[in-house]
Amino acid sequence: MSFRRKLLLAFALTVVLSVITVAWIASVVTRRAFEQADNERSAALVAQFRHEFARRGQEVARRVHNIAGGETATRMAAAAANSPRDYGAFVNDAKTIAEEQQLDFLEFVDGDGTILSSAQWPAKFGYKESNLSPSITQETVLRKQEAPEGTVLGLCATDQVANGSSPIFVIGGQRLDKDFLASLELPAGMRVMFYQNLESQLSSKLLLDPSGSLQDPAQLTTLINHARAQKQDVAEIVHWSGDAAEDETVHAIPLSGDDNHVLGILLAGTSRRPYVELLRRIRSGALLAAAAGLVFATLFSSWVGARVTRPVVRLAEAAREVAAGNWYAQAEVTSSDELGELSEAFNRMTRDLAEQRERLVKTERIAAWRELARRLAHELKNPLFPLQLTVENLLRARQQSPEQFEEIFQESSATLLAEIANLKAVVARFSDFARMPQPQLQSLDLNELVRNATRLFQAQFQSASHGAIECKLDLDEALGQIEGDPELLHRALSNLLLNAMDAMTQGGTLTVATRKDHKQVVLSVSDTGVGMTEEECAQLFTPYYTSKMHGTGLGLAIVQSVINDHHGRVSVTSKRGAGSTFVIELPRTAQQAQTISHWKGFS
Amino acid sequence: MRLIALRLLVASSLLLGNAAAATRPHYGGNLRVMMSASGSLDPVELSGTVGGGNIARLLFDTLTTTDDRGITQAGLATSWQSDPENRNWQFSLRPGVGFSDGSPLTPESVAASLRTVNPTWHVAAGSDSVAIQVDPLNVDLPAVLALVRNSIVRREGGKLAGTGPFTVGEWLPGKRLALTAREDYWNGRAFLSSMDIDLGGNSQAVDFGRHHVVEITPEQARRVAGSRVSAPSELLALVFARTPASAMEGRLRGALSSSIDRKVIAEVILQSGAEPARGLLPGWLTGYDFLFSTDTNLASARQAVAETKQKPAWSLGYDANDPLARLVSERIALNASDAGIRLLPTPRADSDVRLVRLSLASLDPHIAIESWAASIGLVPPKFAGGSSEELYAAERVLLQTQQVIPLVHVKAAVAVAGVVNGWSNSRSGDWHLVDVWLGVEKP
Repeated sequence: MSFRRKLLLAFALTVVLSVITVAWIASVVTRRAFEQADNERSAALVAQFRHEFARRGQEVARRVHNIAGGETATRMAAAAANSPRDYGAFVNDAKTIAEEQQLDFLEFVDGDGTILSSAQWPAKFGYKESNLSPSITQETVLRKQEAPEGTVLGLCATDQVANGSSPIFVIGGQRLDKDFLASLELPAGMRVMFYQNLESQLSSKLLLDPSGSLQDPAQLTTLINHARAQKQDVAEIVHWSGDAAEDETVHAIPLSGDDNHVLGILLAGTSRRPYVELLRRIRSGALLAAAAGLVFATLFSSWVGARVTRPVVRLAEAAREVAAGNWYAQAEVTSSDELGELSEAFNRMTRDLAEQRERLVKTERIAAWRELARRLAHELKNPLFPLQLTVENLLRARQQSPEQFEEIFQESSATLLAEIANLKAVVARFSDFARMPQPQLQSLDLNELVRNATRLFQAQFQSASHGAIECKLDLDEALGQIEGDPELLHRALSNLLLNAMDAMTQGGTLTVATRKDHKQVVLSVSDTGVGMTEEECAQLFTPYYTSKMHGTGLGLAIVQSVINDHHGRVSVTSKRGAGSTFVIELPRTAQQAQTISHWKGFS
Repeated sequence: MRLIALRLLVASSLLLGNAAAATRPHYGGNLRVMMSASGSLDPVELSGTVGGGNIARLLFDTLTTTDDRGITQAGLATSWQSDPENRNWQFSLRPGVGFSDGSPLTPESVAASLRTVNPTWHVAAGSDSVAIQVDPLNVDLPAVLALVRNSIVRREGGKLAGTGPFTVGEWLPGKRLALTAREDYWNGRAFLSSMDIDLGGNSQAVDFGRHHVVEITPEQARRVAGSRVSAPSELLALVFARTPASAMEGRLRGALSSSIDRKVIAEVILQSGAEPARGLLPGWLTGYDFLFSTDTNLASARQAVAETKQKPAWSLGYDANDPLARLVSERIALNASDAGIRLLPTPRADSDVRLVRLSLASLDPHIAIESWAASIGLVPPKFAGGSSEELYAAERVLLQTQQVIPLVHVKAAVAVAGVVNGWSNSRSGDWHLVDVWLGVEKP
């Protein structure tokens, strides 16, 4: 992946992650803030509901108090004291007064709990009030009331009508039913339900709703059970459907009777729709922002990436030029930032490298000339000195011994000719190196070439000037034909054999071996001579360098030149005192040679 | 007869002079009445209630009438005779009688009216009489013809016309009925010139400034000044939808009857506007009601329930438009609960047992009990004669079916303003408005 694409991806990811992070943080913060606000709102609504509930209770108590202080109650109390009691005198009074006072429940009860008159169950006069509390207070409490249709719950207050020693009691209230719930003045966004805790088992038919029907009463089962068990306010989010906007925060408020038994549970529900819709808007906004951010990030990062990577690309191109050999390549400096500094540093580096290279070339050229001069001087000095001695000897012989001059002249002339021949030979070697020809490739048998070369030096291997040298041939007979110039290769091999013989002044073993190695052939020449140091090995193929006391230093340079011209490679491994091994790797064919040459160009 | 009485009254008024002028009957005046709602003026529809009968008698006549002693008197028929088997009857019609639409009363119109109401009768028109053949035989057909339902009606194009003392001026069903006295009434013009009847108003508050006569409930009579009550005649009873399925169920029905405190219903709920019923017919009409016993006996009721080892539960239906019926039903349910019987009061019609009101159709007990038996789905008794023994036996048989439990006999009540003179009503509560005249209203 290119740097520009990486940069683009990094930018896009950064922007998207940033937007997502911001949206998430905003969502979390908003949710917490709204939940807090929702809780406060719910608490306020519940408090308002409690206030309304208490107000209704106070209203009931006030009405009951008015009834107890009214003329009818007083008359009833007096009539109730008569014996036999005439229920017919007041049997319908409770119903009439209840209608006037807008009460659902109204009973006049004597001290024994006998009903004198009942509004909710007019036929029950003379019967005992089963739910009459032994301690009658004027507090408004939740009470069970018996009605013809069964037990119902009411918000009831009790008052007393004094009548000497036979007081009667007025129990009045309003039924806690759906009409009562509907009549409550509730804040907007709130609704109230009521569970009548009249049975031990939870029953959905005991759950009242002002609208008359509840979507799914079973959803409230857990909440109601908690409120029944804990006898304290419980709040829970109720999921009515798969749509979160339908959720409600429902507060369950247990209502106890005067015996502290939970008789009913008020369920005040506040809709979570505003919160859910706000959250959805935030999420939609975040998604929109993320999408816009992604598009923006793509475009912006493309632009920025192009600006940032352009100098780097130019720098890379310049570096590739340098690698290709253009030491004078320069990167364009388009900015003054770090990339600009980098480009300038690169340019300085290439300039320095070029200058150093030029200096090095000059130095090497000078060194080569000096070495050449030294070699020439050395090579020329050796024959010149005998020439000088021979000429001086002739001059002295002519002056001092003319009789022997003729003899001396003959001898000296032969010496002079011999030395002059040496001089010519020296000059010819230098001339040959300077005029190294291009190889004329032809098919040849390398093993045969090895055998011919070693056969030429067979006499010198047994020469008395050095110890006997044993020549071993380790030739791969399956080597096959290769393409090469037999004359140049013979010359190179001869130089290696001469070098090996020079290295084995005390005699030794010379091993020449051939073998196949993939698509090339390998020729190695090993001796058991004095060996060389690493430094000597490093400069061994430098022209005019020699580690020997005599020699022009051109032998191995010629070897390397010949092998290079055959697109081959020559190397040496050596250790002082352990001998040396020269290895020549040659391509088998000219085609392979071109392939190798191509790869060399790349490398 | 009314003309003679009028002459006597006029003569006596002349003798008594101006001092008695204020109490002298005189013609004219508009009587304002409030009574229970009625949606029809057809006598068949009106015959079910006391109030309906009162309206019917203002507009229609019957061939015969029944006096307070239960004796049949002449009406539109002046005389009648039958064969020895009481199967074929002939009624001679009163001449010179006309319907309110101007058409004369003819044997054909009488026959047509009777055929409409009694499709099983064979009614034939004679020259001045009608012949009626009944099957099965009926020993007291003249008393039957005195029933309101057998009023003579001329039905022409959906309109009803009668021969009664008043004719309809304005009729708003269920709301208002305006009547005008007929000058040509065959029994003499009524004293009143007109009547304005409010139907379905709130009778709880009696306002004599607005109405001269107000039909009230019997429990109201105790508190309303100027109220008049009849003898306890309307029967309040429990009627089972079917006969007992077993003797055990019969015992439970008896236990239910024993558990009911009828005295409380009569004296407290109905404010003494009723009397506990021993039998179906009121004692004042039969004289033998002491032979039946409906006293409360909770102990025996509980024992009976315990012995049956059942927890009976019946639905008790009542008229949803009748608050008194609901109250009585709930009280009965409470009484039954004391005995271990579960009664569930309900306004639904398809109940196991229903609380019914049976108004006394006739002062003839035979006719009345026949009418009640038919109306509650029992087989009407047949009487070979008119003896009390036969009547008692018939009533006993009806009670032994255990399909009907008599509760109380309810009195009919009416509040009458002081300016209304000449007010009278039958023992069963029927109003005699033809004899009423209005005095001078005091400022």
